[in-house]
Amino acid sequence: MRKFALSMAFGVAALALSTASVLADTTVQLVEVITSPQRTEFLKGQLAEFEKANPGIHVDVVSLPWGEAFEKFLSMVQAGQIPDMVEMPERWMGLYANNGQLEALGPYMDKWDEFKTLGDRAKQLGSTVKDTQFMIPYGYYINAMFWNKKMFKEAGIDGAPKTMDEFAADAKQIAEKLPGKYGYCLRGGPGAFGSIQQFMDNMAGKSGYFNADGTSIFNEEGAVKGLQMLADIYQKGWAPKDSVSWGFNELVTGFYTGTCAMLNQDPDALIGIAEKMNADDFAVAPWPVGPSGKAYPALGYAGWAMMSASKHKDETWKVMSFLLDNKQNLGWAKTVGTLPIHNGAESDDYFKTEQFAGWFTELKDASKYELTTPPTYLENLGVFYDSQVPKNFQAVLLGQKTAKEVADTWAKFLTDEQQKYMAAHK
Amino acid sequence: MTLSRADEINRQARMRRWAAMAEPWLYLSPALIFIVVVLLVPLVIGICYSFYKFSAFRSEWAGLDQYRTLATDPVLYHSLYNTLWWTAGSLILQFFLGLGLALILNRAFFGRKLVQAVVFLPWAVPTFLTGLTWAWLFNPLIGPIPHVMYYLGIQKEAVTILASPDHAMWGPILANVWYGIPFFAITLLAARKSIPTELYEAASIDGATAWQQFTKVTLPFLAPTIAITVMLRTVWIATFADLIYVMTAGGPAGSTETIATYIYVSTFKTLDKGYASAIAVLLLFLLILYALVVIQMRRRLMRDM
Repeated sequence: MRKFALSMAFGVAALALSTASVLADTTVQLVEVITSPQRTEFLKGQLAEFEKANPGIHVDVVSLPWGEAFEKFLSMVQAGQIPDMVEMPERWMGLYANNGQLEALGPYMDKWDEFKTLGDRAKQLGSTVKDTQFMIPYGYYINAMFWNKKMFKEAGIDGAPKTMDEFAADAKQIAEKLPGKYGYCLRGGPGAFGSIQQFMDNMAGKSGYFNADGTSIFNEEGAVKGLQMLADIYQKGWAPKDSVSWGFNELVTGFYTGTCAMLNQDPDALIGIAEKMNADDFAVAPWPVGPSGKAYPALGYAGWAMMSASKHKDETWKVMSFLLDNKQNLGWAKTVGTLPIHNGAESDDYFKTEQFAGWFTELKDASKYELTTPPTYLENLGVFYDSQVPKNFQAVLLGQKTAKEVADTWAKFLTDEQQKYMAAHK
Repeated sequence: MTLSRADEINRQARMRRWAAMAEPWLYLSPALIFIVVVLLVPLVIGICYSFYKFSAFRSEWAGLDQYRTLATDPVLYHSLYNTLWWTAGSLILQFFLGLGLALILNRAFFGRKLVQAVVFLPWAVPTFLTGLTWAWLFNPLIGPIPHVMYYLGIQKEAVTILASPDHAMWGPILANVWYGIPFFAITLLAARKSIPTELYEAASIDGATAWQQFTKVTLPFLAPTIAITVMLRTVWIATFADLIYVMTAGGPAGSTETIATYIYVSTFKTLDKGYASAIAVLLLFLLILYALVVIQMRRRLMRDM
């Protein structure tokens, strides 16, 4: 009997121990949506460091290629295969946050040691939906002007353009003086709207997407001029013919191969360009200003968000706060080409080069450069970017539709969305 | 007593008749259940979706609204035209080149096995990779095709045809032809090999020329296979969106948008899978009509043989 009781006690203890070890082993599933082999490798390195410091928590990474990430991730969520943590581009936030899919991060952030150095922009941009912090940006993608110094010199131009008129004149001069070369690396394919908005806002002298009454600014006279300017650049042959369907990779290739001399891009592009070009041959200047004397560069961002259906919220926050801490974020910014989120990061030697000057000038001089973020609270912003814009913009470039016609279509879509939003949030 | 015995005999006879009738259905039942679960249920669900309006996380009953929108949607008509152009262009080139290849590979020559292996290779390449490769080949920054066309005088500048609304459809069509030739080559080669050699011997004794042998012996014998392969391939090409989406994403300015890519865009970009289902129902209806016509033609061919 005693033997039996002893063996029972051992059995129960062993079972308890094994159950405890199973309970301690938590797997956090993380989905990344803006991927490249180098960036995934870097992320996995960060997570390996995290797992070493946090025994019992494993992070399972699912990588979705950006081109099809929107539909794949949406299908996953609709089918109930919901991860714990997701890389959240700003344009998706309205969709998931408005539909109750994201966890509010405020309570977690209150207890976060690194909260004190987190820049105000991260708090502001991560809480655009329902004034609730549904995501924390891991970095910013700000557009500025890459310019090829060598090509400018060959075309007899001294320095980067400072106004939109100078920009158009430089594009023309380069295309005319250098046979087979072009002035501007135009983006006509996926992800074009950041640049389009910049041209339209710059020429309109207005920031953002809407007037105070919720009507879109994009079919106002100045904005239409901005869209027409892009159409002219393309139709007059100052941008490559192929650029009507160019996306990110083609743009970067077009710039570093010296096919076109100017490029409107964020630090993401610098990684590929710096690898292929001599540092003395190019620089990054602030974006040229419009007739109002101001420029409105697009500020894009992405970050980490927690899904409200997660069953491991504390562990997920541990992973998230680790990736977003000062040290990890600086490494991430240097690797993936974003501007870091913590205050003081710009004093790091890495960012003190001529190549970063354009972005930091835009960040510092708020009186001249009004950074424009998309209305991420709108539920159908992704639909606008991915479904409305590409087809219509290409039609303008190819002369199938006028700039005014397309600007009216965009303005109607955005005004309807904004009015719907305003009516629901009176 | 006599009556009840007669009743019993009748009942047993009825039971035997029922059992005899039910027996084949019982044997067929696994296949029938499989067809209902795998084919019919999703089909019915898909058709039901076309009566709803969807957004990402919501849906509402829309009755016939989606079909009313279909009737007045200019993008749909443009996509239908493009589908016809994409399907006919791909199919005709694939078929004639595939047939030619099958006839060449039917002859004995040195290194035939190696040539066969190489020729059938495209069929084994994933379509996504095929699309990417051909998009690169057309890209003037890294691909040779625009430069070759420029040097041959076909183009005034070395630019990609994928950026031209008038010529962009040729890009995916050429990629599809490269990808699809092996299908016709394999099936037609198999059919050609099954034609008895005595027929050709008799034809040559009768003095038939090579062309006469082809038109009077080869083609009639290949005709039923041709009818069925052309039908299958038409359906596949018409519903096949991968190559177009990878190479042009339906652009520029919708010039390569087909019904299949429009379904994809409506589902995943506009997020209305109800409208996508309505378009899919229309495509299904058109393809069934087409298949019925081809099957009828094949029946006639078989009867005439």
